[in-house]
Amino acid sequence: MTSEALGHARTKQQRPSVFPITSLHDGHLGSESNDIELSPRMRADLLDLDAWGAILTTFGQTMRVAVALTDSAGHVLGKCHNAQPVWSLVHEAAHDWTGCPFCISKDIPCTAVAEALRAGAVIRVRDEAGLTHVAVPLLLGNQQLGAIIAGQVFDRYPDSLLLQRAAKKFGVSSEQLWDLSRKQRPVSSAVLQASADLLCALGKAFLQQRYGAILEASLADANGRFRLLVDSVREHALFTIDTTGIVTSWNAGAERMFGYVEAEIVGQNFSCIFTPEDIHNQVPEKQLNKASQSGRVEDEGWRIRGNKKQFWADVNITSLLDDAGPIRGFAIIVHDVTERRKLVTVMEEARQERARVQERLLSHVSHELRTPLAAIYLFTTNVLDGLLGDLNSEQHEHLTLAVDNVNQLKSMVGDLLDITRVETHKLTVEPQQVFLAKLLTDVINTCKTNASSKKISLHSDGAFDLPLAWADPARLRQILINLIDNGIKFTPEGGTVTVQSRPLAEDDNFLCISVSDTGCGISPEDCEIVFERLAQVNNGTQASRSGLGLGLFISRDLVSRQGGRIWVESELGQGSTFYLTLPVFSLARLCAHIFTAANLEARFVTLIAVDVVWVGGAVQADIVREIRKILERCIHLGEDMILPPLSDAEPVETFFIIACTDVNGFSVIAKRISRELQNFDNTSRLKPVISSTTLLVAPDQSRDEQIGGVMETIEGLIRKHLMNKKKLK
Amino acid sequence: MTGKTILIIDDDRHLLLGLAARLKGSGYKVVCAKDGTAGITLARQEGPDLVILDLGMPGDDGFLVLERMREVACLSAIPVIVLTARAPADNEKRALDGGAVAFFQKPTSNHQFLTAIRQTLGETTALSTFVRT
Repeated sequence: MTSEALGHARTKQQRPSVFPITSLHDGHLGSESNDIELSPRMRADLLDLDAWGAILTTFGQTMRVAVALTDSAGHVLGKCHNAQPVWSLVHEAAHDWTGCPFCISKDIPCTAVAEALRAGAVIRVRDEAGLTHVAVPLLLGNQQLGAIIAGQVFDRYPDSLLLQRAAKKFGVSSEQLWDLSRKQRPVSSAVLQASADLLCALGKAFLQQRYGAILEASLADANGRFRLLVDSVREHALFTIDTTGIVTSWNAGAERMFGYVEAEIVGQNFSCIFTPEDIHNQVPEKQLNKASQSGRVEDEGWRIRGNKKQFWADVNITSLLDDAGPIRGFAIIVHDVTERRKLVTVMEEARQERARVQERLLSHVSHELRTPLAAIYLFTTNVLDGLLGDLNSEQHEHLTLAVDNVNQLKSMVGDLLDITRVETHKLTVEPQQVFLAKLLTDVINTCKTNASSKKISLHSDGAFDLPLAWADPARLRQILINLIDNGIKFTPEGGTVTVQSRPLAEDDNFLCISVSDTGCGISPEDCEIVFERLAQVNNGTQASRSGLGLGLFISRDLVSRQGGRIWVESELGQGSTFYLTLPVFSLARLCAHIFTAANLEARFVTLIAVDVVWVGGAVQADIVREIRKILERCIHLGEDMILPPLSDAEPVETFFIIACTDVNGFSVIAKRISRELQNFDNTSRLKPVISSTTLLVAPDQSRDEQIGGVMETIEGLIRKHLMNKKKLK
Repeated sequence: MTGKTILIIDDDRHLLLGLAARLKGSGYKVVCAKDGTAGITLARQEGPDLVILDLGMPGDDGFLVLERMREVACLSAIPVIVLTARAPADNEKRALDGGAVAFFQKPTSNHQFLTAIRQTLGETTALSTFVRT
């Protein structure tokens, strides 16, 4: 037995490809024929014998050959015309050998089908009787579907072994069979080979045609089913538009929601569902642009029904794409969420109302508590301070304790109101530049009485060389007093509470303040919860009785609102250390917008100090505010800036201005400020002193170096200026 | 003993009693009024050097008293320190805008309160904003 690929160049590369299928969106079916993937059902459909029967029979009759169809494994799917007499000799077992492996010679498996499929070409096989058989591969893209086998019916020689065997089989003489076969004019081996080429092309074309037809049918089916699905959705409007916004399809849900029927809306622009304001603001166009760019837009807003009534819609726009092709249009899903919105609004209003009621109640309670507290405080301190006569030491001690308790109540009342503000996000934090050293000294002084009454040593260190912090001084004071008071509360007599401050080791953009005590410590599991609301660590001491357990909860909120964080490290019996971080005040960050390349090019920056003294009393807060507004009018806001107030800088009424100007420019600004302040206070109770230093920007440095240099000089100048003021005082 | 007169307007008679004792102890002459109307009348009669004013009072509240005082020539120059149980968040700016020189929330520390009084009366030269408690 021999088998060979037929002579003509029919290589894989030259195989004609299946017609491109571009209209299909199925990811498996690209335009490249090699990418085709077929489901088992589709394979069966493609090789359906009913479809192939006609072509195979015609071929068999025309060419006078036996024809059979096999699957890709070589199993017979069907046979036509002369196949039975030719090949039944080797398939003795049954008349119908459908489903059996195709054989040419008995008991020898036929490898021609596999070879033809592998080679993608017609394979010729010659059997022991000298008859030629050809296997024609059926390929679709890279898919091996099966083969057509064609075989010479009879040889031209009456004494051929095949004829004799066949005659025996059918119970006739070989001569009779010869006569029969002559009538049928069997083809020669060469003709069979040539016609096999034709069959190969024919098979391919037919396969492709069939493939197209099957796909079309299945798509139409899928479209139909999809349409059914889309139309059965009633709660959502589903529709498609083209790239210009013209409606191309419209489901039953859309009909119900908007009140337009498909026939009237298809071909119209979808902007008709938008409010006039949205149309005026070109919202539809903007949304399509965005959907084109990002593939998807989600929106919630008012839309209009056909009857002009508005409803609140949840809208989802998705762009429709071909494989990497241009956008074909958009699919839009709309959900009417008017009721949900109403509900959300009602719930939000209820929540706010509840918060308002709670705040009113607590504010009222706090007010009502403060009034008697104030009276108790005054009466006890009056007696304690000896205004009503001398006290013995025991009386003095008892009254001191009473005042302590009043102070404790007072801070609890304060916490009560703060806690509602934490929850309604109304706790205000106004950061400014803060000299930590000064603030810490103040705080230590405030807490000193409390500490010394418990014979606890309280001290601070480390703050003097620190950069300015960016924090709300009043809030920072509140946090630190809370931490120190806690330390004192949980530390036994004779212990120590230490406040330290330093730059944060891991990030020098932050400062770290720590409050350590030598008290009872906190267990690891309690370290986790001390910052939670109403956390009261039960350590069995008297100390835990006081306070509402809100202080640390409020502190955490306040610290995080100032851009820092707070944590605790502790061990039972070893004392605790609370840490909090605060951002370093960065002039550079604050002034970044001023130092543009152009401004640096001009090379001048001037620091202007305006010291304002109010003759005859302390400068009042409203006057400070008014002066600030006047200064803002005198400079070019945006190019120049007034630095935020320095916490506890004395005198407080010094304003620093960074102006992008030189000496000449400064004199203009100074005149303007003097004039405006004079207009503001014509009684001359306001005494302004305006001074300036102009800084040269080094031209040969990088921008960062230039800014860094200027900032350093400015910070130095501010410090020096304030020191001088202090000395003058 | 400075001999200066301070008028306290507050509807809480316990506070009046306690604060008056404290201020007298510091050497001031003290007159008290239990509501806004009585406060204005007393201010006209006595011409105090300083008024300590509560905000929440029946009848004319503290803000109204501040307003009246600014309207009456002989009272408009008298400095007013507000001492109230109300929260500074909602009231401090309004009080200062209304003409008060300082705002304190009850209960306030004697030391800080007396310092503010001395500063307002020009008895100390320190120029610093008042620290509220």
